[in-house]
Amino acid sequence: MKDIVSVDHLRVEFATDGRTVVGVEDVSFTIAPGETLCVVGESGSGKSVTSLSLMRLVEFGGGTITAGSLNFERADGSTLDVAAAPSHVMGAVRGHEIGMIFQEPMTALNPVFTIERQLTDGLMLHKGLTQAAASARALELLQSVRIPEPERRLKQYPYELSGGMRQRVVIAMAMACDPKLLIADEPTTALDVTIQAEILALINRLKRENGMAVLFITHDMAVVAQMADRVVVMYRGRIVETGTVTQIFENPQEDYTKALLAAVPKLGEMKGKPAPEKMRLIGDEAARAAAAPAKARAPKVLLQVKNLTTRFPVKGGILRRTVAQVHAVEDVSFSLNVGETLALVGESGCGKSSCGRSILRLIEPTSGEVWIGGRDIRALDRTDLRRARADMQMVFQDPFASLNPYRRLKDQVAEPIQNFGLATGVELDALVLQLFDRVRLPRDFMNRYPHELSGGQRQRVAIARALAVNPKLIVADEAVSALDVSVQAQVLNLMMELQEDLGLSYLFISHDMAVVERVAHQVGVMYLGRIVEIGPRSAVFDSPQHPYTQSLLSAVPIADPRKRRFAEDLAFKPITSPIFPLGHQPAPSTYTEVTPGHFVLSL
Amino acid sequence: MTYVLNRLLSVILTLFLITLVTFAVTNILPGDVAMMIMGTQSNPEALAGLRQSLGLNDPILVQYAHWVGGLLSGDWGNSLIFKKPILELLSQKIVASAVLVVMSMGIALALAIPLGVWAAVHRDKWQDTVSSSSALLGVSLPDFFWGIVMILVFARWLGWFPSSGFVDPSLDFWGTLQHAFLPALALGLGLMAHLTRMTRSTMTGILSQEFIRVARAKGLTERTVIWRYALANAIGPVITIAGLQIGYLFGSIIVMESLFGYTGMGWLTYQALLNRDLPLIQDTVFVIAGVVMLTNLAVDLLYVVIDPRIRLG
Amino acid sequence: MKRFKTTKGMIGIVLLTLIALIAIFGPMVIPPDAATAMDMRARRAPPSLTHLFGTDQLGRDLLFRVILGTRTSLEIAVSAVLMSVILGLPLGLISGYFGKWIDNVLMRFVDTLLAFPALLLALTISAVLGPNIQNTIIAIGVAFTPYLARIIRGEALRVAQMPYVEAARSSGTTDAMIMWRHVLPNILPAVIVQATISLAFAILAEAGLSFLGLGTQPPAASWGLMIQASRDQLDIAPWTAVVPGLAVALTVLGLNMFGDVLRDILDPRSK
Repeated sequence: MKDIVSVDHLRVEFATDGRTVVGVEDVSFTIAPGETLCVVGESGSGKSVTSLSLMRLVEFGGGTITAGSLNFERADGSTLDVAAAPSHVMGAVRGHEIGMIFQEPMTALNPVFTIERQLTDGLMLHKGLTQAAASARALELLQSVRIPEPERRLKQYPYELSGGMRQRVVIAMAMACDPKLLIADEPTTALDVTIQAEILALINRLKRENGMAVLFITHDMAVVAQMADRVVVMYRGRIVETGTVTQIFENPQEDYTKALLAAVPKLGEMKGKPAPEKMRLIGDEAARAAAAPAKARAPKVLLQVKNLTTRFPVKGGILRRTVAQVHAVEDVSFSLNVGETLALVGESGCGKSSCGRSILRLIEPTSGEVWIGGRDIRALDRTDLRRARADMQMVFQDPFASLNPYRRLKDQVAEPIQNFGLATGVELDALVLQLFDRVRLPRDFMNRYPHELSGGQRQRVAIARALAVNPKLIVADEAVSALDVSVQAQVLNLMMELQEDLGLSYLFISHDMAVVERVAHQVGVMYLGRIVEIGPRSAVFDSPQHPYTQSLLSAVPIADPRKRRFAEDLAFKPITSPIFPLGHQPAPSTYTEVTPGHFVLSL
Repeated sequence: MTYVLNRLLSVILTLFLITLVTFAVTNILPGDVAMMIMGTQSNPEALAGLRQSLGLNDPILVQYAHWVGGLLSGDWGNSLIFKKPILELLSQKIVASAVLVVMSMGIALALAIPLGVWAAVHRDKWQDTVSSSSALLGVSLPDFFWGIVMILVFARWLGWFPSSGFVDPSLDFWGTLQHAFLPALALGLGLMAHLTRMTRSTMTGILSQEFIRVARAKGLTERTVIWRYALANAIGPVITIAGLQIGYLFGSIIVMESLFGYTGMGWLTYQALLNRDLPLIQDTVFVIAGVVMLTNLAVDLLYVVIDPRIRLG
Repeated sequence: MKRFKTTKGMIGIVLLTLIALIAIFGPMVIPPDAATAMDMRARRAPPSLTHLFGTDQLGRDLLFRVILGTRTSLEIAVSAVLMSVILGLPLGLISGYFGKWIDNVLMRFVDTLLAFPALLLALTISAVLGPNIQNTIIAIGVAFTPYLARIIRGEALRVAQMPYVEAARSSGTTDAMIMWRHVLPNILPAVIVQATISLAFAILAEAGLSFLGLGTQPPAASWGLMIQASRDQLDIAPWTAVVPGLAVALTVLGLNMFGDVLRDILDPRSK
């Protein structure tokens, strides 16, 4: 059968500030009918530019296709070179013969139009349907993407729908005219893992039922393993390697592909291993040398959290009175040993971040106790709290926002030391120098400003700043989530190395189960503000007891094409709202101990 | 319902605060107000009489209570220069100003929205430069300068419009529009420049959003994408910004109405300020601030109608 | 610095430098009494070699008057904006950084002030205090404060929620130090941009006040006063309006262009 798409020596240029920047260069690939081709790469690889070129949408972002051809097999059997097609022909192809879905479901729908209007306008334009016929088809489409209560959704506005539902609407829009090719540009990156699983399964089913081809753009190797028939690996605007999914995963030819795969944690690969292990980094000698499992110490409790509860007021009315409360953290108790990592996992809104911030009193908890080294943090006054903060530091998610853009890096690392009067003058400079060495940053970075650094380098600065006052505890709130996978692996290894050398304890807050499996000693799973299951990593991952933990684990994509899990439609229980009326008194959290140290919420 | 009720309570509170600020501003001078009004050379008996009639011998809080009490009970006092009840003066003049404000806002919006959209669509191209430069030029000259130019060109040289005065709309509506046109045009041009820039930046922001890309990926024509998808989102913010300019307009009418001898609120305020007619100053300042506040409220409510997120939320 | 080298940026900088030089050195260069010396034989003289920009209704040289007016206008505008920044900065900073009830109270007050059109407030204050240069500065300064406070508050609120502020707090930095080291430097670009644009508005406001006779008083030279005087002689001596009008336009144009370019360069959100 003839290929539906054949891209040949594509080159796209962007003109900025009078300079020409090459977006992609010499990119060639084909897509067969009914095939899923995954284009994978880290940020800046040119994967999105490639997909936008195929729709000729790249020109709206200032790009120009300067060389190559993009041949698309049209429904009538003719071949169209997208690169040279006049714009009215492209208008007839877009949304009609090629459908596209995007990364951000929250902004992909026009906020001031109803779902119905947004579903029908394409149908009326391309298929010449009447309003009534288009509405009927819109309803069918919503049913086919399995949205609950489709009739009601038609009359609703985007803001009334959850992120997962919006992405289903976007998919329905893309599918409206039965396209032969669906382009999916990072369609699940902004979604929680259970929603991601649902959407991936939905795309698989629609592809199967309609026999369409899929061009799937992603940065996530695990998603590639789950979705792809064939894979194109891109790096800095060029193709590195092309092959079938099993070839790429089991017998990669290029060093870049090998390094990329090595840096990806695979869920389940830690089975039977007693302690966290560093990531395998190709060419990183330090990591290889320390690949031996971290030695187990005699457990000694550093942090003990008892019945921690944090509620945020929901204000309303002229007097800004509290009308309801968000139960962000609800009766949470756990303890963390010296030199160990406790991971708090859960989906967005589960309260894991609020829990971390409450422990540091960056937000004030409503009740409960937080003991660190024999002191109850909650009982401290402002002055004592400030002093106590030397023991507990935080590393944030966004490496671009967590450093002050207007201060030199050395001043930012020195700030905590100055705050506690730990050193001055030459001594201070020496300390800062040591810290830069410690996180493996070149010394000449000390006089630079944050914008001169990459994301991974900034995160190292943030870690250096956290280490500056010799803390016992570091709360890492999604500290590696914003980083590319290879950088993520390096930062994780650095954190594990620091833990070994300095005996640090981490409260590792993350949504990424595969990363957590790799780094944690203990794991707590959070759901609606509570810990539903907590225990040693192996116990929670190998024999999950709580239904939520089980569904969470079943939704994680595994970076192994032989372990596919999203063939059939999936529907997870939607998370209910954590907002309750004033005076609502939820039941206390009570747990059953299934094996020693492994507790499951009994509700 | 609670939303409306809350807004209503907020309005009352703000009106109260407006009376406080008005009273504070008009009473900041520690000196003798009667002396200020009549001059240092006036005879002591007349001064004493004026003090008595203005209630200036009372403690400041009593004066304030007296004034607010009057406002509430409909006794707004008498103007010293016009020798008339202020409420009567205000009810005449406010009509004239309303015509002027609505007209200039209409002129400004009718020009600014297409120009701003045009500039945003052709961002960083010559169309953008033309639109931005004319907008820059528009905000760079004081509007009274435009007023003078218009009097010269359209009234003196061409004789198309009257150069000054105001006609009661109940007598001659066409005449009202004719008299209001030149000052409205002068005001509208200054405002237009500002609104063009705002429309451009709002549209630029919207055009870079994901749902615009989605609309293009659906194969919709550029015309639909820009004039339906994008503009439907821009209208709300642009109207909000335009609403905030009502305050600016009510400041500018003071100059413009005085220049054109257009006897509205602005002209009245100016007469009061020039002649230090304290009761009239207090009442006009209060009314203008109150009207600005209420217009902003109306714009907020209008926004609720336009934007489904607030309407149903 | 690259983006300063746009046409717009260059025009703005050249205009502003020129105007600033005129304001500072102009009054020293021109003959001491030239601007006020009346020449009754040369009333409303059109531009010529003796009077480059012509003369006004009292035979005073318009070039010299407009140079003196530059000093007056800039002096008033700069002082008034400085005053509104000094008043608005702490107000907005405290409101935005601390939030909660402090913010509610302060912003309710600021919102009330915003209901008063700036020009009306300035005119009223000037009328009540008695019009002169010093009171014009106070009037415009006070009238502009709520606008500045609002914008600074919004910026401070945005910055106060940044992770680097949270990071500083979690490493024991005091509120005062956080405001000084982290919040202030990060809102400063927006404040500078706003101050530049406010300067343009202050020039216009001063012209408006003087035009209405409630700002700078004769015989002092002011652009607004000169335009006011030209009103009745437009047909016979249009240059008496064009000269001060052009002075206002060029200054405001320069400030706006400079402000636009500054905004592009300094505003982190525009990147």
